[in-house]
Amino acid sequence: MIAYLGRRLLYTSFALWGALTIIFVAVRIVPGDPALLMVGPTGTQQDVAALRHRLGLDRPAWEQYARYLLATARLDFGESLRLEEPALDAVLQRFPATAQLALSATVLAVAVSFPLGILAAVRQRSLLDHVVSVVSLLGQSVPNFWLGIMLILVFARDLRWFPSAGIGGLSHLVLPSATLAVLLIGVLTRLVRSGLLDVIHEDYIRSAYAKGLPPRPVLVRHALRNALIPIVTIVGLQLGQLLAGAVIVETVFAWPGVGRLLVDAISNRDYPVVQVAVLLITSVFVLVNLVVDLSYAYLDPRIRYV
Amino acid sequence: MRDPGEWRGKGRVTRRQFVRTALAVAGAAATPAAVITPGAAARSRAPSGTLTVSLPARIVGLDPLGSQAAEEPVRIVAAHIFDTLVLHDPATRRYLPALAVKWETPRPTSWVFTLRQDARFHDGRAVTSADVKASLERMIASRGPLAPLWTAVEAIETPAPSTVVIRTKTPLGTMLANLSLLAILPADRMNQPGFFDRPIGSGPFKVVSYRPDSELVLEAHAAYWGDPPGVRILRFRDIPEVAARVTALVTGEIDLTYGLPPDQIDTLRAARDIRISGAPSYRYYFIWMNFKRRPFPDKRVRQAMIYALDIDTMVKTLLPGIAQTMRAPLPSTVFGYAPQRPYGYDPAKARQLLAAAGLASGFETSLIWNPGSGPQDREIAQAVFSYWNAVGIRVRDEQSERAQWLSRLLKLEWDMDFQTNGVLTGDADFVLRRLYTTQANRMGYSNPKLDRILEQAAEAIDQNVRRVLYADACALLWEDAVGIYPFELVQTYAFRSRVRGFAPTASFPVFTRVTV
Repeated sequence: MIAYLGRRLLYTSFALWGALTIIFVAVRIVPGDPALLMVGPTGTQQDVAALRHRLGLDRPAWEQYARYLLATARLDFGESLRLEEPALDAVLQRFPATAQLALSATVLAVAVSFPLGILAAVRQRSLLDHVVSVVSLLGQSVPNFWLGIMLILVFARDLRWFPSAGIGGLSHLVLPSATLAVLLIGVLTRLVRSGLLDVIHEDYIRSAYAKGLPPRPVLVRHALRNALIPIVTIVGLQLGQLLAGAVIVETVFAWPGVGRLLVDAISNRDYPVVQVAVLLITSVFVLVNLVVDLSYAYLDPRIRYV
Repeated sequence: MRDPGEWRGKGRVTRRQFVRTALAVAGAAATPAAVITPGAAARSRAPSGTLTVSLPARIVGLDPLGSQAAEEPVRIVAAHIFDTLVLHDPATRRYLPALAVKWETPRPTSWVFTLRQDARFHDGRAVTSADVKASLERMIASRGPLAPLWTAVEAIETPAPSTVVIRTKTPLGTMLANLSLLAILPADRMNQPGFFDRPIGSGPFKVVSYRPDSELVLEAHAAYWGDPPGVRILRFRDIPEVAARVTALVTGEIDLTYGLPPDQIDTLRAARDIRISGAPSYRYYFIWMNFKRRPFPDKRVRQAMIYALDIDTMVKTLLPGIAQTMRAPLPSTVFGYAPQRPYGYDPAKARQLLAAAGLASGFETSLIWNPGSGPQDREIAQAVFSYWNAVGIRVRDEQSERAQWLSRLLKLEWDMDFQTNGVLTGDADFVLRRLYTTQANRMGYSNPKLDRILEQAAEAIDQNVRRVLYADACALLWEDAVGIYPFELVQTYAFRSRVRGFAPTASFPVFTRVTV
């Protein structure tokens, strides 16, 4: 197990280095000069040149890259070009908000999609099954910025049940999580349904029923547990989609998270912030998928890590 | 005050309705007095209540002297947290004493400011000349967008704690205009790390808490030297999405916002507890033509492009309530504005001019712009494309995101450019000398006579002399059709009826005199 973890950590560091390099190159290849953006249209060429020099942007690309890698190894991610604070601070300050949003969306999605998926699988080809299929298809196709605005208009403006925007207590979390969860609900419901359908006709399920077990332990302890591996895998991979969706949801609901910061940083070519934000998101993604992979051993005792 | 729909079809008026109406009328009669002299009302009462405002763009930081100094949200919050030496009054276009109680120019290159004795920073320390010196030096060293305003400064001297002397290499006619943008920070603390997480100023409000991208909370400063503000707590909530912001206004989660599209403004106008109020601003739209690209060096072509546009109709249909037709290369709110004779909408004349220039069958060109940077800009772009198309000018739409647009703009890699601009200081120099001189080379226009006029105007200390010079400059730019200046923007605010004493000005909004 230790050896397995060690190997995974090695792969992880390669993945992180790859992400770091790709984002370093991508954000610099795109036309647009951060010094120019900061000085604005009313500045002169000298102002821009002076600022470029002060920010170290006039050094050759390979030198910038080398400095960047060395600094990253020291956990020094530089200062935001625009915000005049350390890039890492800017990102970490906003990370809890995004984490809160992503986690509640996941919890909500699981709470809704598992029961629906189980019901649909158990009553296969019934009216309920078809309704669930349509609902999950809608969930995957609805554009989330439209849904977010609709929810605000209906639940915040007309019904006054929830606040319209911003971060705060639990009531502030409801609409944004719901918007973010919808896509995940669409994907998960179908997954739970099909995963269960795969196992529900197996012999051991029939044996369990034959033993006299009531439906719930059969479904949950036996069927679902065996169907969980692909489901858990997809949830882990969907985290990427979730974080992408978070960017839009954060903008619509004025949620002060990393997504909004990242979009602004890209528009302003704020290289340090873009790099740190992408690194953080990549790390979270890699970590979550590592946890998912390790969970297989718990879910399926036949799997052992060497 | 009353919605006309209330009266229609009611017929008989009950006694209750009559009494309510009478009270409302009496209240309405009394309110203008309170609004007109808000100072008197505010002076007699302590700050009370909470005002929640949502700006159309997010507050990127609280540093008024750095790289974000020109961003409007930063300037708005800075006006509440910090003081400047002088205050610009957009209504009278005069400069009022703030931290400086008097100023004189013993020589054209020397300005002497006497500071007030009773100004205190939020932590109790007095504001002195050392703070002014340090703030100006920081602004200059920042190389941010406002630093170029100060290139003429040679030295800043502090002969006494309440005296500041600013010496310039050449006379600086815009000294007061520039100082109205210079926030004064405490010299000993402004460079400490983390200072701008909760900065200290000497303004009417102090910072209670700041959560970036979320909310900034300010509280009235008890030891403020001027009239105490009307509200005790001033909150700035960041809600970028228009639908969410309008909803928050309707539900009462926020009290005031602006930067709304015309259709939202109309909807809000009909709401009972929401007021709409606007004022012409310092912002305007313009279209530049690149003098280094054919056929724009030919004045007939440039003028033809103006004659082809029906600007009045565009204002009426696309920008009702949020813009006016412009009559000069500057908005009417700016010092130095001089109205010119409008070109008018004349497509026949446009075709005539094009034919005279040898382009009877029109020509092809392109327009760069950055969508989303001004109200209704997509609609305006579509309209101008069709107007030009109607006289044979086929324009390629080259919209792009801000970074790329800006990059091409400054490298002069474009045919035409469409954008908004704001005259931050309310003074013509801010725009004319920085954009239209030969040295500026922003659209390839070179006119030595204009260069001389603008240089003289920048160095003249006598504002009357400057006004005359800028009138000449306006006429030159207008007649030469250096650019197309269609719309000056009216900033329209939507606020709840509990907000009293809010008066829109040409400059950014200030909430110190507001009561709730």
